[in-house]
Amino acid sequence: MTENETPRIGVFVCHCGHNIAGTVDVVRVAKEAEKFPNVVFSTDEMFMCADSGQELIRTKIKEHDLTRIIVASCSPRMHEPTFRRVVEEGGLNRYVFEQVNLREHVSWCHMHEPEAATEKAIDLVRMAVARAAKLEPLPIKRVKVIPRTLVVGGGIAGLRASLDIADRGFEVVLVEKQDKLGGNVIKWTHMFPSDRTGTEVVEPLIERVESHSNIKVYKSSRVIDFEGYIGNFEVTIESQGRKKNETVEVGAVIVATGFEAFKPKGYYGYGESPDIVTLDELQAMPRQDLLLRPSDGKPAKKIAFIGCVGSREPGKKGHEHCSRYCCSAVAKAAADLRDRVDEALVLYQDVRTYGRGHEDIHRLARQKRVIFSKFEPDEKPEVTVTDGKIKMRWRDVLADDQLAFEPDLLILASAMIPPSDVEETATMFSLTRSGDGFFNPEHIKLAPLTTHTAGIMIAGVAQAAKNASESVIDASGAAAKAASLLARGEVEIESTVSRVDPDLCSSCHTCVAACPYGAISMDDSDPPIAVVTEAKCHGCGTCAAGCPSGAITMFHSTDEQILSMVEALLVPSPISGGE
Amino acid sequence: MTQATTKTTTTGNDWEPKIVAFCCNWCSYAGADLAGTSRIQYPPNARIIRVNCTGRIDPDFILAALEMGADGVLVSGCHPGDCHYTSGNLKMQARWALLRKAIEQAGIDPRRIRLQWASASEAQIFADGVTLLIDQVKKLGPLRGQWR
Ligand code: SF4
Ligand code: SF4
Ligand code: SF4
Repeated sequence: MTENETPRIGVFVCHCGHNIAGTVDVVRVAKEAEKFPNVVFSTDEMFMCADSGQELIRTKIKEHDLTRIIVASCSPRMHEPTFRRVVEEGGLNRYVFEQVNLREHVSWCHMHEPEAATEKAIDLVRMAVARAAKLEPLPIKRVKVIPRTLVVGGGIAGLRASLDIADRGFEVVLVEKQDKLGGNVIKWTHMFPSDRTGTEVVEPLIERVESHSNIKVYKSSRVIDFEGYIGNFEVTIESQGRKKNETVEVGAVIVATGFEAFKPKGYYGYGESPDIVTLDELQAMPRQDLLLRPSDGKPAKKIAFIGCVGSREPGKKGHEHCSRYCCSAVAKAAADLRDRVDEALVLYQDVRTYGRGHEDIHRLARQKRVIFSKFEPDEKPEVTVTDGKIKMRWRDVLADDQLAFEPDLLILASAMIPPSDVEETATMFSLTRSGDGFFNPEHIKLAPLTTHTAGIMIAGVAQAAKNASESVIDASGAAAKAASLLARGEVEIESTVSRVDPDLCSSCHTCVAACPYGAISMDDSDPPIAVVTEAKCHGCGTCAAGCPSGAITMFHSTDEQILSMVEALLVPSPISGGE
Repeated sequence: MTQATTKTTTTGNDWEPKIVAFCCNWCSYAGADLAGTSRIQYPPNARIIRVNCTGRIDPDFILAALEMGADGVLVSGCHPGDCHYTSGNLKMQARWALLRKAIEQAGIDPRRIRLQWASASEAQIFADGVTLLIDQVKKLGPLRGQWR
């Protein structure tokens, strides 16, 4: 396709079953699209991403000699890769594809306004048609993948991931900020709901990791600089006690930075008595026959747990999620400790012992006469500490009775929250975070282990609160993702970079200062001209927007492409249809 | 539209403002996606144009949109410090002050343009921002008399 050829645009409007078609009149959208400039084919279809929809695109490209494809369906953040592939299979360049978001941005958020939603859909398709006419095929670039993986975090997930990759024959660089491996788990002398100590669980992993010839471990270390793109990252590691920073090249990254146990200041007397501890602190207590309370070292005879401390609080940012591990852990801890104390009480909002075998633990606790008492979320138990004595008062929902208890030891099942340096990690690896503060996966169902930064995976609690078994499953999954990338040896990278037109550059240096990646420098000519190092360019377009001389083209996001959309919306062309 | 404020518009009952919304791919576009997935309902006046980064947005795009008859323009991106490209949004923020001045000097009420930060998880903040701009623009009326 040469540049001057008239584009031949095909438009495919998706029903998404009832998801789009239930609100938007998709048949009308497809009919209207026929009238837009350069459109030679337009239709509606039940499921565009299904095999039949994909086949339809390939067939119609041939039948109508289409040179630009528009699919009006769901968010491009979900299916753009799918349709780009289909378009390529149909013989076109992937960059001549344009997707319109009729589901997330139209039908689902204007459900009670079908007429206005349909108008919006038509506008969006018209804008996409205008943009499509300006789209250009771009070269497909392939780069070599450096066969080494950076794993950030040496907790149970990071250890598992490192081993899996190393066993697959690839090198691993494991960076841990603490002076020893094992993360949260190794601190735990009691691994509820498992019977073993944390050391018993992770020590074998640590030993294998530390002796593995493919794994290099950096303890007391942090990643302080991170550059590059999928397959070719450059990592700078700073280690305590080492004078020089080290730089390593890796092709993939697994972020397994885990969590911190929430210190529930302001909840249930936490901090007012040494005998009010978190579940995490209980798990770290020395293993011995008697449960001794921290204040005076005397055996605790009456213990109580409170669930959902700092979890499941609607409207409280970072504390709205269920921490998922604590119900089972509390049930197990209570069942175990019940043998050593006279009374054990669990106050809960709900008990969600969903894991395999966890319901048995819950039942065991009840058989052992652990008392479970339910409270209302908006009627939290009251805890007071007077002269070192802990007093609890609450209303039991099921009995509708006001109850009281005076435990020697109170254990708060506090939330899993991201570690305090999570923001730094997010910035370092360009990751976004969800409402709970943990990192967003690329897609919650379709791509839960990869992120929006190509080449970067997440594993374990870094992604969301979960228990150790689930973290390990994640870790193996993320490792498989990384290994398959390394095994391929080559990867395609985005061609959406910027370029300077040397004839227009006025040597002002604006772009050099604007580029967040140092991808632009001035050459040696006189006067100097700005040059983009494509391998370093991430395609943000900041330089193009800032250049006072209009010398910079941001491919796939050119001024023309953007303005054509604005124009199509506000001053639509009177031209009708293609051919 | 359910919330059409028939009294506050200066030109009758059926005028609906046209809003151009520039959203960065990583935060606000994703936030708008989540608004949909969460079935958050908001007025349908905005038409989103996806850009990689708010840093990509040339003030000329906004001026052009207003010139072509947009009644309002929204720019929505990642929170400062959260930019997928580390700092593109700060560049946009720096341009914004100048842009507001330029717009004012051209006799256009700067309340027609809105810069907001909404992360990928802040669906409600995104939707609220859109609603707020639409309400604001409705009070101001059409940019150039009756639309079309
Ligand atoms: S797992 Fe924890 S946060 Fe979730 S419901 Fe159970 S106690 Fe509450
Ligand atoms: S688009 Fe421009 S500013 Fe952005 S990374 Fe590339 S060269 Fe740098
Ligand atoms: S901003 Fe534009 S004119 Fe200035 S140096 Fe960069 S390319 Fe040249």
